[in-house]
Amino acid sequence: MDFNLDEFFAWVGEDIDTLMMLIWILPVIIFVFYGQRIQLLISSNEIKKDIGKLEEYTASTKKDFLNYVKNNLTSKTDPSKKLDSFFDYFTIMPVDMDPNGIISKINHLVRSREDFIRLQINGMFSDLSSVELSKLQNLLEIVTTLQLFYKHTRHLYLTAKKQKNFPLILPLQMMIPFIMEEAVALKDAMPAIKNGQPIGDSIGPMIVGQMMLNTTKERAAFETVWSKTTFEDRDLFLLKAEGPNATVGRPGDGFEKIISNKKPDLVIMIDASLKLEGEDSASIAKGFGAAIGGIGTERFKIEEIATKKQIPILALVVKQSIHEAITLMTQEIADKANTVREELYQMIRENTTSGQTILVIGVGNTIGVSQ
Amino acid sequence: MSKSKNKLTTCYTSLECNSCKILKKRKFTDGDFVFFASENCSDCDGKMMIMKIFGVTMD
Repeated sequence: MDFNLDEFFAWVGEDIDTLMMLIWILPVIIFVFYGQRIQLLISSNEIKKDIGKLEEYTASTKKDFLNYVKNNLTSKTDPSKKLDSFFDYFTIMPVDMDPNGIISKINHLVRSREDFIRLQINGMFSDLSSVELSKLQNLLEIVTTLQLFYKHTRHLYLTAKKQKNFPLILPLQMMIPFIMEEAVALKDAMPAIKNGQPIGDSIGPMIVGQMMLNTTKERAAFETVWSKTTFEDRDLFLLKAEGPNATVGRPGDGFEKIISNKKPDLVIMIDASLKLEGEDSASIAKGFGAAIGGIGTERFKIEEIATKKQIPILALVVKQSIHEAITLMTQEIADKANTVREELYQMIRENTTSGQTILVIGVGNTIGVSQ
Repeated sequence: MSKSKNKLTTCYTSLECNSCKILKKRKFTDGDFVFFASENCSDCDGKMMIMKIFGVTMD
């Protein structure tokens, strides 16, 4: 059959309205019936790529951790199998239908888990120093968290795919950039933890640690030390986690012990704080209230004691991103130590009078920072 | 030294002499930690104390 182009266009010209109607209506019909599926397909492809990255991070950090253990520690038996079982450990949080007394329950649960892991790791290796033990606990925490991220994200993705349920994938699509940001930070934290180098979060202990030099250090609580010094006719009580271990210590318990010795007139907490988008890294901010992160049990304890004894709490924080907070300390943050110390002294001058006592708490992981 | 994508981070140790206050910077070595005084000062009889350990990232 001969095809005449002129004839075809002539026909099209006559029925242009019908053709245009078809061109416009077809996609509308497609989008009405299959729109959600198309959206699910596009979104799920993006999420699938991120899940692949999460799987890769989990596998690489796990391999890294096991290699570190094999190359640096002397084990009584092959540790791989036992350590592998730790990666899947989970924690069941207490029932919160009746929140009364839940803090002490969470505290008990978290400490029991830490004690158990510490005891198990200690039993696996011979001549394990406290620094090495704390590093292993941190490394294990990184691998476990990455594995948890991977498994939960994959679960939500597969459930949405299986049930062809688009609304189910929406919260995942919203959350995945934040999950990935934290996952990259966790993966990049491995080298600093393995080498025992300070991380961004160590800025608080670094400032207080320097003030503690040439003072007599006493044990305030588990993995927590305190000492006394003076500043312009004022008594300073200094409290931080015991370095250079990779630990945050127990500042709540430490505060409790110090208060039984002498009640301070003011508490100043120095910590790293997550910066808001648009804020500069390593910028300093001052404020009120207990500057301490974590699950909330330590903050609760400090707030409770301070409220009971009517002690004001001031906060001095160094802003940083999640990546900066848990990876090797940047030069920008390290260079701010002296400025923060000057700000602290100024805060003490402005808020106390001579003869008063001030408790300064350096909050954060004190890895690679002694006192 | 750690690599992340195309970025290379090198860890440095910054030391200060407790006597003549001279500052020195060298690459991080195993066993370094902040406020550890192990090295002798090359300029006087003082001890060098580690004041900072930090990473410098280059693309």
